[in-house]
Amino acid sequence: MRSSQIVSAAAIILVSGVLAAAASGASAPAAVGIRFTGRSFAVSGWTPPASAPRGGWPTIFAVYASPAGASGPAGATAGAAGLPPLLGSYAIEHGTLVFQPRFPPAAGLQYDVVFAPPGAPVVRRTFYGPPRDVTPSTRVLHIYPSAAVLPSNTLRLYIYFSAPMSRGEAAAYVHVLDGHGRALQGVFLPGEELWDPRFEQLTLTFDPGRIKRGLTSNERMGPPIAPGARYTLLIDSAWQDARGAPLAEAARKEYRGGQALRAPPDPRQWQVAAPAAGAGTPLTIDFPTPMNYPLLQRMLNVVGAHGTVAGSVSVGRDETRWRFTPQRPWRAGRYRIIVDRGLEDVAGNHIDELFDIDEFHRVTEHIVTRTISLPFTVH
Amino acid sequence: MRRVSLLRATGVFIGAAALVAGAADARISTSPLATLANGNAHLLSAGPLAFGPDGILFVGDSIGGQVVAIDTHDRQAARAARVDVQDINAKIAAMVGIAPDQLVINDVKVNPVSKNVYLSVSRGRGPDAMPLIVRVERGSGQLSVLPLDNVAHASVQLSDAPAAAPGADPPNGRPSSRMMTITDMVYMNGNLMVAGLSNEEWSSALRSIPFPFQRTAAEGTTIQIWHSSHGRYETQAPIRTFVPYDIDGRNYVLAAYTCTPLVKIPFSELHPGAQVHGAEIADLGAGNQPLDMVPYRQNGHSYILINNTSRGVMKLQADDLGAYKPITAPTITNVAGVPYQTISDLKDVRHLAALDSSDVLILTGKSSGPPWLANPVVGPVNLQTIPLP
Repeated sequence: MRSSQIVSAAAIILVSGVLAAAASGASAPAAVGIRFTGRSFAVSGWTPPASAPRGGWPTIFAVYASPAGASGPAGATAGAAGLPPLLGSYAIEHGTLVFQPRFPPAAGLQYDVVFAPPGAPVVRRTFYGPPRDVTPSTRVLHIYPSAAVLPSNTLRLYIYFSAPMSRGEAAAYVHVLDGHGRALQGVFLPGEELWDPRFEQLTLTFDPGRIKRGLTSNERMGPPIAPGARYTLLIDSAWQDARGAPLAEAARKEYRGGQALRAPPDPRQWQVAAPAAGAGTPLTIDFPTPMNYPLLQRMLNVVGAHGTVAGSVSVGRDETRWRFTPQRPWRAGRYRIIVDRGLEDVAGNHIDELFDIDEFHRVTEHIVTRTISLPFTVH
Repeated sequence: MRRVSLLRATGVFIGAAALVAGAADARISTSPLATLANGNAHLLSAGPLAFGPDGILFVGDSIGGQVVAIDTHDRQAARAARVDVQDINAKIAAMVGIAPDQLVINDVKVNPVSKNVYLSVSRGRGPDAMPLIVRVERGSGQLSVLPLDNVAHASVQLSDAPAAAPGADPPNGRPSSRMMTITDMVYMNGNLMVAGLSNEEWSSALRSIPFPFQRTAAEGTTIQIWHSSHGRYETQAPIRTFVPYDIDGRNYVLAAYTCTPLVKIPFSELHPGAQVHGAEIADLGAGNQPLDMVPYRQNGHSYILINNTSRGVMKLQADDLGAYKPITAPTITNVAGVPYQTISDLKDVRHLAALDSSDVLILTGKSSGPPWLANPVVGPVNLQTIPLP
């Protein structure tokens, strides 16, 4: 709609010139050329008529996009393969027919341009968009849980990358091998890939049907991590990042199955080491069992007399230690650690609540508060 | 066709902590179109789709932590017509100027009034991929890309979605990397129901959002499932996909969980603070997730066609769903289940979409690898109508 309006307006302005050109015998085919500015395509050496031809400008001037190097001679494949031309708008600018693609040029594409003016030879040209930067640079930074022994009911793995990744291809590049190097199937939950908004953190969920006690899958196949068994998580270097470049290197995490975690996290068992006033020493919490890494980043908060204390979190000792360093030195006084009950250990057990509970009466217990408060004092 | 045995039915117990009220809250006095404003829809991604009233299309935007309602101006009633667009991913890729392997079709829905088909598409595979809504004309199969920079629209933020907006400054000084991936949406009784999965915590996020939208959607409910046959229950099983369904004159939601079977939930009981009882009606197999559900009637019987990640397309016999009562005590054990059969000649189906009483729309594409996670496509992706099996 908008493009036709632009063309109409331009045509009205140019009408006298076009008529003059038409009267004098119009364009000379030998001088016709096509230019690509990096953003738009223009026909030079040809004077467009007063109005678009029947069927519209695309019937005489069309641009076909395809992966660079995928097609043969210019313009020979895209249109012939039945693929439609690029969407965009046509305008006449300074007496030149210009095609403006609706979407910006993508890296690694070639553009086969076909210009077929009535009664004149067809002109074909091929142009190339910006090259695809496929220099490998993205790598796996870390895989959580960090420990070498994972509880047999571990619920999730988190893979952290150094740069944004491409979506929708994890299944082809993430493998779990058994102790003999054989690839295992049915380890992770199928379906959507779960990323963070920057696509730098991928969440893999072990098939919960094999983790939850009493379910058919659990009884038939056993847990996805058998106690005592050895496994390797292998991340293939061919996996592409968001630019389309492969990873700089493959990544592996070897782990062994441990005993299931069957007790929910209990903040009363956490050891809180209060910092001293005046310094930037961290507040430290030690947990008896490993906790969920990404949730440790945001489900523990420190509140003082003046509200939430801003600071940075570091997690160590295989996710059994949480350290909080304030942006400003500690002031003496009373503080509280606000624990979100949604905080999980590595097996998906919440604060005071197991992932799979086997006592029915627990259903009727309504947790009225979403947080627990752990007081500490800075001296 | 392979017959699959009857499955046990167990029970579910749903503690609805904060589900927004259902139909009672939807007080629509004027056309919802009047509540839409022209401008840029500001979609950061385009995932699950659902049609609302008056040709309004809801687009789930997981990266933006929002749902956007868009006026498609597609309100002309028409009968369904055959659709057959082969290699549709390559065609769309050619139109928008990107390599076909960089184009992802995220969802497919049919406008129930016009019978035109709508696709949500990502132009690119990275976080900055451009979201597109593509319309496929009924009959002709002609493709067009909806303009999203100047369109009548309204949006609602999902209240516990991440602070994905650049420059967000949380009080604790630590940016969140949480994202709720919207997995399914259904418009019913004046409400848009939204299911999603968090990338960080194991929680359910079933929301019911009144439409026209308020500024922010209420927080999701917590859902607990109890398996009576084992004297156990489990907590917070996220819903992957769901469909509204009438059983004996009552509105239900049939929901498929990520790890547990198909359950029925009475819609009338989904309100804030309520304890809701549902019933499991089928187990669709381990290592598998249902993706789409299409209810239909055929020769006087009710069926639900279900597309799965790993176990193909199933036809579920749905005549007697009312017979499966909610289980409310651990001593009750229901060992019956709903029969289903696998439609063996339907392969590589990535999406199913309801079309009319005789046909269904399928998007097919072969997978390159094992059927877990989101398996990549190899070769052409085809959109076509087929007779309901």
